[in-house]
Amino acid sequence: MKTLLHMQGLTKEYGKEKAVDDVTFSLNKHTSTALIGPNGAGKTTILSVLAGLLKQTKGSIVFDGEITEDFRKGIGFLPQYPKFYSWLTALEYTEMTAKLSGVDVKIARLEAEKTLEFLGLGDAKKKKTGTFSGGMKQRLGLAQAIVHKPSLLLLDEPVSALDPIGRREILNLLKELQASTTILYSTHILNDAEEMMDQLLFLRKGKLVEQGSMREVREKYANPVYKMYFSSSEEAARFVELSPWSARQENSIAFIHIEEAKPLMNEVLRVLSDSNLSLSKVERATASLEEIFLQVVNKG
Amino acid sequence: MNNFSVLFQKEWRENVRNFKILWIPLVFLLFGISEPLTNYYLPQILNAVGNMPEGAVFQLPEFTPEQIVMSTISQYQFIGMLLVTLGFAGIIARERKNGTATLLYVRPISYISYVYSKLFIMCILVIGSAILGLLANLYYTYILFGTVDAGAFMGFLGTYIVWLLFVISIVLFSSAAFSTGIASAVSLLLVLFVQLIDGLLGAYWTISPWKLPMYAGEILNSSVDMTLFVWSVIVTVLAIIILLVGAVYFAKRNVSKTKI
Repeated sequence: MKTLLHMQGLTKEYGKEKAVDDVTFSLNKHTSTALIGPNGAGKTTILSVLAGLLKQTKGSIVFDGEITEDFRKGIGFLPQYPKFYSWLTALEYTEMTAKLSGVDVKIARLEAEKTLEFLGLGDAKKKKTGTFSGGMKQRLGLAQAIVHKPSLLLLDEPVSALDPIGRREILNLLKELQASTTILYSTHILNDAEEMMDQLLFLRKGKLVEQGSMREVREKYANPVYKMYFSSSEEAARFVELSPWSARQENSIAFIHIEEAKPLMNEVLRVLSDSNLSLSKVERATASLEEIFLQVVNKG
Repeated sequence: MNNFSVLFQKEWRENVRNFKILWIPLVFLLFGISEPLTNYYLPQILNAVGNMPEGAVFQLPEFTPEQIVMSTISQYQFIGMLLVTLGFAGIIARERKNGTATLLYVRPISYISYVYSKLFIMCILVIGSAILGLLANLYYTYILFGTVDAGAFMGFLGTYIVWLLFVISIVLFSSAAFSTGIASAVSLLLVLFVQLIDGLLGAYWTISPWKLPMYAGEILNSSVDMTLFVWSVIVTVLAIIILLVGAVYFAKRNVSKTKI
């Protein structure tokens, strides 16, 4: 897999305050990466540096094999609350941004129309952006970010402000886009984004505290358990007594913590068959990303 | 000029759609026309609505056509400049403040084109309106008071345009460097307040951009001291260049202040 971007030791200081502190990561081509962290963790600052709106205090960025200060040609940026010129129509706006991003003047209008169509704004393209609803603005924001086919798409909280339907639609669009571009986006709503991340970057107070693929992070933090459903709480209590592993009981459910893939299911079943307890259901549960998020950002 | 035409088109559309293209020329036209009309018809106006006591006699001065043109300029120098400074102080600053500029700044635009697109639209609106107003003024002055020498008028107009460019550069520079509120204050200070100071204490110096409107009037009366006038123009042009270079510098530097 080819690397599109490598960020090395990026630091951004405001006076003595470090908004971003020595952050290093790489983005592979055609992958999506989520920047995860609570408000004020430095997500927007990192995106702003990449978008050319802020200059880093320290650190270097290699973009597509080049060390450069200005990658504005290769990026598309969607701010958390995109603001448009209310007196332009969606088509005029998208066409203008396409031209400014270097799309050939002759095909800019066509590209703008295609992009608006793709994002479901075909019918609204002649409307002034000032009349747009929140969901339409988010789509238009996405339109201006992708109209010039950037190699890197930076999205700041792309779905946070949307209702569940809008979220789902935007996420589906983003999944489609991933085939042709690399996506780096920030979020603090994890459940929706869970399916669309090849790499997770956890930020806390400007520092990168954890990174890896979904599976790696899960394995490290998820603390999976077997949830054993018994017919009564007495049986559950009896099972906890019998089990040689660390286990606990809650009503009629017994929990066994799995560490380093132990215990194996057949060991658990052997204990069960010896004890003659009536088990109704077994589940292997993992912590949700939300729980992992809390663990990661609260550690240290 | 990389991107200039695209950015200028945006400015043009903005000012057409918010009707600035209409009302700014109208203000300048109104003052341009009303000055000769009210001066000419003042006796009749006083008779009709002045509520004068019986038998009151007024000796009104005889205006020369040049005086009428100059009294229009004194209107422009106050109301017109107020309009320009307050109307355009946000031309860059407001875009940063409301976040619309963010999606321009993340593109590979040249900040020279960006500032010049603003300069260009201001020139069209302000200088265009002033020329329109002064031509209308000249027409009514000609009908009611008599002819103004064409050559002198051209010299006067040219000089006044240099002054307007100076004002535009001040506003553009302030808007690039400061927030809208501070930019309004700074432009008001540099245009109106300094003009006042120059009028009150200006007897002590002779070369100053703020004296250009005065020199423009003297050109109209053919009584100008060419050396002082030329030096003032040179100083003004230098100031304009510095202000515009500064505007580009600050527009770029303040990119990080745009609301994200």
